[in-house]
Amino acid sequence: MIGITCPAGNITMKEIQPAIQQIEGWGFHTKIGDTVGKKDFTFGGTDAERLADFQQMLDDPAVSAILCARGGYGAVHIVDGLNFSSLLQHPKWIIGFSDITVLLCHIHTNLHVASIHSKMCNSFPDDWSKAEPVQVASILSIRQALTGEKMQYTAPPLQYNRAGSAEGQLVGGNLKTIESLAGTVSDIDTAGKILFVEDTGEYLYSIDRMFWHLQRTGKLDRLAGLIIGGFKVRPDDPGEDFGRTLYDIVTDRVKPYNYPVCFNFPVGHQPENYALKYGVPHTLIVHPDQVNLTEK
Amino acid sequence: MIAIICPAGYMPRERAQTCIDTLQQWGYAVNTGPTLGGASKNYFSGNDDDRLSDLQEALDDQDVKAILCGRGGYGLSRIIDRIDFSRFRQSPKWIIGYSDITVLHSHIEANFNIATLHAPMAAAFDDDGAEGPNVQSLRHALAGDKTAYTCPSHPFNRVGQVTAPLTGGNLALLAHLTGSSSAVGTEGKILFLEDVGEYLYNIDRMLRQLKRSGRLDRLAGLLLGSFSELKDTNRPFGATAEEIILDCIKEYDYPVAYGFPVGHDRTNVALKTSVPYELKVAAGQTSLTETVA
Repeated sequence: MIGITCPAGNITMKEIQPAIQQIEGWGFHTKIGDTVGKKDFTFGGTDAERLADFQQMLDDPAVSAILCARGGYGAVHIVDGLNFSSLLQHPKWIIGFSDITVLLCHIHTNLHVASIHSKMCNSFPDDWSKAEPVQVASILSIRQALTGEKMQYTAPPLQYNRAGSAEGQLVGGNLKTIESLAGTVSDIDTAGKILFVEDTGEYLYSIDRMFWHLQRTGKLDRLAGLIIGGFKVRPDDPGEDFGRTLYDIVTDRVKPYNYPVCFNFPVGHQPENYALKYGVPHTLIVHPDQVNLTEK
Repeated sequence: MIAIICPAGYMPRERAQTCIDTLQQWGYAVNTGPTLGGASKNYFSGNDDDRLSDLQEALDDQDVKAILCGRGGYGLSRIIDRIDFSRFRQSPKWIIGYSDITVLHSHIEANFNIATLHAPMAAAFDDDGAEGPNVQSLRHALAGDKTAYTCPSHPFNRVGQVTAPLTGGNLALLAHLTGSSSAVGTEGKILFLEDVGEYLYNIDRMLRQLKRSGRLDRLAGLLLGSFSELKDTNRPFGATAEEIILDCIKEYDYPVAYGFPVGHDRTNVALKTSVPYELKVAAGQTSLTETVA
């Protein structure tokens, strides 16, 4: 059974209907949490309501996966209040991205339990026949991950990529959210791992500052590999031309190291956003002709 | 001699002219570095090497007694780890600025515990600003006067009195530095915070980061400056910056004062970091007074 809950932003019962139909069509039962349909300004219920709803999903042995209905903002308000002892006894998939990066990072660092970085209920199309093929494929990749398939992904060859191969646990998520966890108990250690990052709505100067943050907090120097997902860049304000692209920013920061780096990987706030198994060992091969990420 | 340099964003030289004239009227010799109004055509006042060498030269020049940053913007994070502070540590001098300059203040306090001046920068001298309270507070601080300020009370204030070293700056930069070698410890200190142009949810997120990294729980006191030009999401966040802050610190009992004259809004007085101040938050007003050593 798959539980649906709102640890961050709010969503209506109507908005999750396409997800429920699809997931039940895959053969799973669904359990709809009390926070679906709740609204406390931007939040899907008060902190106490969101905490209680997520906690009962963790504690219910019949729930084998918890799909966060959407991101937004708010997971950091409840993460310190959650009791993960039942997750440790009976691991289950926690599914989401964007603000849910808080939970994925926290669980990886503190509990060493794998999770799924993927689209959420709010990305299931109302009408499958009109949805973009990559969006459909992205949604279907959640099913593949849930049913135990080994995951395989490709990304476009790009002149900015740095060739090489790497093996390591896959960690990462939303860059701004990763920065906001630095210095806290939810912060991730990236040594020996394959790091993926994505973001949306940030200025280039802010993206640059966040990559400096990664470097200055020791998250770039001992990586096995680096995956740059989608970055929806906010245009520079007039007269404030940053003068560097995302490619320049990243290339500058990883210059001292020699691990493989790839860009435009299909993960992020975009139709093409495949389910990634977080904390699970993968192989990354960046070749001049193709890029492959394969679950080990 | 006071050196004016731009270690972060670009600033045309004419924007600093009133500042230069005023400092000279005050009796200081002024030296401007190549990063003020240089040849840069992009966001920065020069490339990293140029900005670093201009700052380094000002730090090392024994004739320079104070370094006034022309403006903030963004850029210090890119050079902070390459600055050689050895001569500065032997002969400390005022480093003056705010906003992105918070990186310098925080790094210097965290690593060397040397006082810096969180204060208005060159552009603040324009538009009759030189006679205003912000620039005048900088003038007094440069002259060696003890700094002392008051502001009206605020309904969210928590009364109390404490004497402790002052630390703080721009919230976004303090959050950004968390986990790095430039992050300042706040235990037993009076922390001041200000910010501009952020989304309300991000103000919340950054405060949560400070809190979850153990930097709000053992403060001596908290001073909130201006949180100006804040933005909201399409679905309203539902709390003001003042309410967000109050909610974040509700379990602590140190004195708290809102409306302190520091930040990107109209009032922004000179504050000495790492220096002990007496903070009195009373029913009628708040006062912050540099203690006599």
